[in-house]
Amino acid sequence: MTYDRKQDEFRLDVLKELGNIGAGHATTALSRLLGNKKLTLVVPQAMIVGMQESMGLCGGPESLVGAIYIRVSGGLCGHMALLLPFTSVQSLLGYLLGATPQEFSDMELSTLQEVGNIVVTSYLNALAEMTNTVLYPSVPAVAVDMAAAVWSSILAGAEVADYITIVQTGFQTDAEIIDGTIAFIPDEEDLAKLLEALGMGEL
Amino acid sequence: MEEVFVNIGEIKVLTQEGRLVAVGLGSCVGLILYDALAKVGGMAHVFLPTNRKGGDNPHPGKFADTAVAAMVEQMTALGAQKRRLKAKMAGGSQLFSYGASVMDVGRQNVEALQRELQTAGIPLVASDVLGSRGRKLIFDVGTGQVLVFVIGQEPVEL
Amino acid sequence: MANTILVVDDTAFMRMMIKNVVQKHGYQVIGEAGDGEEAIAKYKELRPDLVTMDITMPKLDGISAIKAIMEFDPNAKIIVCSAMGQKAMVIEALKSGAKDFLVKPFEADRVIEALQKAVG
Repeated sequence: MTYDRKQDEFRLDVLKELGNIGAGHATTALSRLLGNKKLTLVVPQAMIVGMQESMGLCGGPESLVGAIYIRVSGGLCGHMALLLPFTSVQSLLGYLLGATPQEFSDMELSTLQEVGNIVVTSYLNALAEMTNTVLYPSVPAVAVDMAAAVWSSILAGAEVADYITIVQTGFQTDAEIIDGTIAFIPDEEDLAKLLEALGMGEL
Repeated sequence: MEEVFVNIGEIKVLTQEGRLVAVGLGSCVGLILYDALAKVGGMAHVFLPTNRKGGDNPHPGKFADTAVAAMVEQMTALGAQKRRLKAKMAGGSQLFSYGASVMDVGRQNVEALQRELQTAGIPLVASDVLGSRGRKLIFDVGTGQVLVFVIGQEPVEL
Repeated sequence: MANTILVVDDTAFMRMMIKNVVQKHGYQVIGEAGDGEEAIAKYKELRPDLVTMDITMPKLDGISAIKAIMEFDPNAKIIVCSAMGQKAMVIEALKSGAKDFLVKPFEADRVIEALQKAVG
């Protein structure tokens, strides 16, 4: 699918705003989960990037990350991921389980899975409200491995084309102990539907 | 020594010497073809079994069903002989656990490549595939040595 | 005697969280389930006074499980604990027979309040 540039920019602007609100809800949820720790949102970016370019979203390709992936269906289909550098995974689990994990057993992975579930679903709740639709998250899948391996597996599952539309938001705690990225990849065919739902279908 | 990174969907070919490197293989598969006599080596970083969504495909290396033929063509152009080619591959893992609807693209990639190699009559002499860990693949075209790296483990020679 | 609870959530972490909260307030967790099918089976087997129910789960989702449990026992007292707080979902859960809907992450006080209200 191709758009002219002006339309592209407009779409990205809309996506960015949606990302802003979605991520606002998501970080509020995370903050509550962390005992009301203050979280700062990095201004969201909406972009159309090549696959290789998108590899840089979660740090160095070989750095260790924790990732939670959720498939979105309903009014707007797409893919969402929460990507956390390994140090953040450790701080998060340390806070929630009371001890920094030495290895990843079921309890650690399940905790990571629930964090992703709460963060991503909060994002979707906001998005659904704004677009007046219902969005269903899948059961979250979780992985801890090389950033590029994790991210490319998500893209493969999404069967993305060479260029991907991504809405990305970063967040961090004041002490910078926990930071991470929320990525949303709407299915291309559903982007038009999304704009329509917002009353912008004619543009 | 020259080190060439093979990104997703790419095919890279070297002769005589140099290293071909694929980083971050999750469900993707790094496919290596080698003519040891002519010292022509190639690597593809395969993303999906086939171009299911249709549309133009300017990157034959991206899909299992187009990668093998394209590699053979590029390698024979540099002096390799198809009947001497041997294949190795690594990747195709399933990194994610729990999710009910999680894709098993890795296994599909591996199986598609096995079929393509068989059709092309190229023997698959070694592979380190499936499982649940991400891999990095390094292929030294000068020596033919292939190493697979997994985080937290000693590299394994393929 | 303490009220008995069946805790339904697909993540072990969340089951642990809920268990910790309710046990502190004198409730007795008599069973756990990780998906909707297991929830129905455990409900029939254990007949708990209360159920906390997640929505997004493998095999069978929480809404379908609520419907099945309510059909089996119209007096079942089910509280939804889900991250999925969209209006349509809340309405569907309540229509299906849930007594209350808590959106994760929840405060411990809210969980107890909802449980107390449900047992009356």
